[in-house]
Amino acid sequence: MTEAALPAPVAAPAVDRERLAAIGFVLPSFVIIAGVFALPLVLLLGVSVVDANGLTFAHYKRLLGTPYYLGVIWNSLRLGLLTTLIAFLISYPAAFALARARGALRSVLLATLFLPLAASVIVKAFAWTILLRSDGIVNETLIALGIIEDPIRMIFTETALIVGAVNIFLPFMILPIYAIVAQLDPRYAEAAATLGASPVGTFFRVILPLTLPGIIAGVALVFSLSVSAYVVPTLLIGEKYPTLATTIAKAYLLAREPGFGAAAGVVLLAIAIAVVALSARLSREPK
Amino acid sequence: MSESSPHLVVRGVSKRYGPTTVLDHIDLTIRRGELVTLLGPSGCGKTTLLRAIAGLAQPDTGKVELAGRDITNVPPHKRNVGVVFQSYALFPHLTVAGNVAFGLKVRGAAKREIDAAVERALSLVKLGHLGGRRISALSGGQQQRVALARAIAVEPDVLLFDEALSALDRKLREEMQVELRRLLQDVKATAIFVTHDQDEALTMSDRVAVMNKGRIEQLAEPRELYLRPASLFALNFVGLSTRISGTVLAADNGKVDVETKLGRMSALGNFQAGSPVIVAARPEQLRLGEQGEANSAAGRVRSVVFQGSRTLVEVDAGAGESLLAELSGRDGAIPRVHDEIRLSWPVTETFAFPMEAQA
Repeated sequence: MTEAALPAPVAAPAVDRERLAAIGFVLPSFVIIAGVFALPLVLLLGVSVVDANGLTFAHYKRLLGTPYYLGVIWNSLRLGLLTTLIAFLISYPAAFALARARGALRSVLLATLFLPLAASVIVKAFAWTILLRSDGIVNETLIALGIIEDPIRMIFTETALIVGAVNIFLPFMILPIYAIVAQLDPRYAEAAATLGASPVGTFFRVILPLTLPGIIAGVALVFSLSVSAYVVPTLLIGEKYPTLATTIAKAYLLAREPGFGAAAGVVLLAIAIAVVALSARLSREPK
Repeated sequence: MSESSPHLVVRGVSKRYGPTTVLDHIDLTIRRGELVTLLGPSGCGKTTLLRAIAGLAQPDTGKVELAGRDITNVPPHKRNVGVVFQSYALFPHLTVAGNVAFGLKVRGAAKREIDAAVERALSLVKLGHLGGRRISALSGGQQQRVALARAIAVEPDVLLFDEALSALDRKLREEMQVELRRLLQDVKATAIFVTHDQDEALTMSDRVAVMNKGRIEQLAEPRELYLRPASLFALNFVGLSTRISGTVLAADNGKVDVETKLGRMSALGNFQAGSPVIVAARPEQLRLGEQGEANSAAGRVRSVVFQGSRTLVEVDAGAGESLLAELSGRDGAIPRVHDEIRLSWPVTETFAFPMEAQA
């Protein structure tokens, strides 16, 4: 009797202890996430709507009501959308090629994708300025080959900006798509073919929908990186293409308008969140 | 087209992958409505042959004809075949009904026609109520049925099953074998199964093609395959047997006398005197005691395995040879381990095979 009765009083607090331990394990990460990510966002939001006189939406009115700043928002959006679109068009076939490559070739290709991530974005953006400037390698080569007589203006154009941004953010599009494609069972395409689907039909009805999660992850990553890029537009196009990111920097560093900078930050964040949320929604959409 | 005319014809099909010959001049003719199994060990070429018929593997030489049409160079999507894959390959982004409708949709069928065909196919496999489910919400057995419904819905000229039942557990697999055979006969489908499971082959098929090293060793009805194996490989791969090695002493009109370590035996077969051979017999042909006009051998019982309606008795006959007898309970006394017994079996049920084809 005593033996049978013994475990009961021990077991009951054990459950509480387990729950306590679980809370104990979760708490540190909760504190870190709240302190490092959530709190700054709340402060940012606060700074953007509060000034010496109390609550104000003046910063938002200035941002969303001035043609100049609407242009700035459009520049950021345009940079994000163009970079994402072009990166996707390059990455999708590249991910398939990467998945089909075998052995050493695959390792080399993956390394060429990963290694540039180790270099600072500043280094890469400067590298593009060296390549593209009037006395840069591209112009000198074209002149030497006799293709052009005078150097073409490449640096500080939108083309240079997009080329650089695509190059720098490309791995963030290829890798998530590659991760999905590499696991794609070739039987799906075979099943579609034996059911009568042409190669084009198989692509649009089977391959594309099945790789959609990778595409969405890549789009969300590259868009949020390029829409908020600072170094890339600063070095590759400069003053004539102001973006939200460069505007934020100017508001804090030169104009000393932290409220305005915060508001621009919130708008940028809202754009990025909208795109990422839309992507997540699309990936869950049942057909 | 009449019932007996050739429906699927494979003529001289060969396929090599690098130095390996996977298919070696395969000839195979299948009638409309026939259920045929390609049976063999892994690497025998059976899956490659199936893929060549489906258009998923291009043969190096030879021709494939289906329903009177040369499809050798026709891409898979224009062949009108149905394939059920081992992994099923159901589209995870579509519902059950979406999967079954796929083949009709890509053919551009009208919506009403598609809905009717989907309903028909799903009710055939007894999943009529699950059309709206997602694939991930189904059990393995249900997925198998959806894969079948998807392949049947387009009314293909031939249904191809690539180890389609092997992912199911044993009990479910055995139930599906019987049910699938009945279903395919009901819809008068022509089907080819690829399997390494002899029970599946014997249960499901009108004819079985035993494959080995890229060749068809024997194409026969299950009963004939068991009773009259054409090669040592076919004998070994389907069912159990007693096999004794020896040398031909004399040959006479389809019958040979063979000197073995267990004494002189007679068997059916055509060989030159002096040829090394294996003489073999099915275990149910072996009886306790002597019979007239029969081969016989004696030995000590090594094991006795009771299997319900039958008992398998393995006998150590000495000289490295053993005998395998299947005795039914009605044969009277079942010997015990270590008993000394004599077994005999009729000459007309004893076969001689060339030695080198040892599998």
